[in-house]
Amino acid sequence: MTWTWFHRLGSPPYVYALAARLTPWFAWPAALLIAGGLWGGLVLAPPDYQQGDGFRIVYVHAPSAWMSLMVYMTMAIAAAIALIWRIKVGHAVAAACAPIGASFTFAALVTGALWGEPMWGTYWEWDPRLTSMLILLFLYLGYMGLRAGLEDTQRADRASALLAVAGSVNVPIIHYSVTWWNSLHQAPSVMRFGKPTMALSMLVPLLMMLAGFTLYFVALLLVRLRGEVLSRERAASWIPEVLKT
Amino acid sequence: MSRFLDMGGYAAFVWPAYAVTFAIVFLNIIWARRALARSRAEARRRLAMRAESS
Amino acid sequence: MSSRVSSATGSVATRAAAEQGAASATVAAETAAALRAARLALLRDLQLAFRKRSQLVQPLAFFALVTMLFPLAVSPELSRLRAIAPGVLWVAALLASLLALEFLFRDDAHDGTLEQYALSGQSLTWLMFAKTAAHWLLTGVPLALMAPLAALSLGASPAALPGIVASVTVGSVTLSLIGSIGAALTLGIKRSGALLSLLTLPLSLPVLIFGARATELAMHGAPLAAPLELLAALAVLGVTLAPLAAAAAVRISLE
Repeated sequence: MTWTWFHRLGSPPYVYALAARLTPWFAWPAALLIAGGLWGGLVLAPPDYQQGDGFRIVYVHAPSAWMSLMVYMTMAIAAAIALIWRIKVGHAVAAACAPIGASFTFAALVTGALWGEPMWGTYWEWDPRLTSMLILLFLYLGYMGLRAGLEDTQRADRASALLAVAGSVNVPIIHYSVTWWNSLHQAPSVMRFGKPTMALSMLVPLLMMLAGFTLYFVALLLVRLRGEVLSRERAASWIPEVLKT
Repeated sequence: MSRFLDMGGYAAFVWPAYAVTFAIVFLNIIWARRALARSRAEARRRLAMRAESS
Repeated sequence: MSSRVSSATGSVATRAAAEQGAASATVAAETAAALRAARLALLRDLQLAFRKRSQLVQPLAFFALVTMLFPLAVSPELSRLRAIAPGVLWVAALLASLLALEFLFRDDAHDGTLEQYALSGQSLTWLMFAKTAAHWLLTGVPLALMAPLAALSLGASPAALPGIVASVTVGSVTLSLIGSIGAALTLGIKRSGALLSLLTLPLSLPVLIFGARATELAMHGAPLAAPLELLAALAVLGVTLAPLAAAAAVRISLE
């Protein structure tokens, strides 16, 4: 009986209404947390003893990088659920994830490069994390390309879900191989950051940003999810009802 | 204030990083709302077409 | 239905044992049938390929051509070429294998063979395994045999050649397997070449990394067991998972 909530997630009108109702509950806390994190990160946190004020890029780089990975994971899990249990909403979630994830992977790359110039002396360093991020961007682009290439929504859903699952099997292998590759070719000129324990005044804003971006992602996902659910229902009787509002 | 904007000499890196990230944050909001609006318009059009044909 | 009738007569334990025995017998028979079907599919693909020789030769010619570009683009000095040779060889092999992927399912999708496979009642996974094996025999193995020539032209010493052949042989298994998923997913998409590379290249990167490393070690006369074992591990993982995924992808495409 405890599984009824799970089964109800298979019902599009329920999901549509739930998504609409929940959106503000994620959006506003996200806005507050991000605003608080910005204030704490840009104003309250002291400059880093090694990197001065340059370290403040971490408050946008880390959340972007976190988003890129978390969104991919969400996408792959939703795709796997959709494939295994044939739950259409899973496909809708996966489809809604891709553009969000791709854009934040791009943001993580740009902010990483902007952080690299003052710290490494070069915008682009073939550092394992940045390289993995770049590969992740290509995985997202491939996923979106496959979706765009297949006109039939059902086929696009299932084919792209398979790709997302295959990709998620590969992500750890890619990450491992890239790390291994980098350990062989490490340039001596690269400055490696020591890992000083982060002061609390630096850490708290970072955690606020991470939490804020996560909630923001859920809110975005809920908005996109409604559109995806709607476009997958051709002639359902509940559609006129939700279009009134 | 100008000290804050200067970011200890890192202004040229810190502010563009924030600008890019928040541009993407806001663009995503716009894109998501637009995608929803498009789906709703599409559903409305389908409903209207069906109402006409029947 | 029949089991319900028999439950009235036989004891539960003997019935279960009998069912289990019957089940394992049918499983064995099914596996044998699947293997037979897979062997036939493999032989068919090989035969067809030898009738269309141009499809066989094109990826090899492409591989040779790409390796030839580098001396012209970089420098004819062997010392400089030797430094980039592992990368050049593997990038060329990766692209050549990608080029050959287009032939993997295209004709079979056109003439309905794939549909017949899916409807045949035989395990589509085994049939996909057979098709991928054929693809590997027709592109991976020839590439591995060509690689020494290309390596020599880029300044590798003859002592390095066995290691290079081994790494390309093992690595190309995984390339074919990953490619079979990509090719199956993009079935029926017009002008899918760019999309196919966008799907398969990122997934092939570990092969590129370990393969190039193995080649580099071979050219330095160093032991290359570590990257070769990693390549083999990738191949084993691919053999177990990729045919399943490719079969699922073909089913999705045919719906």
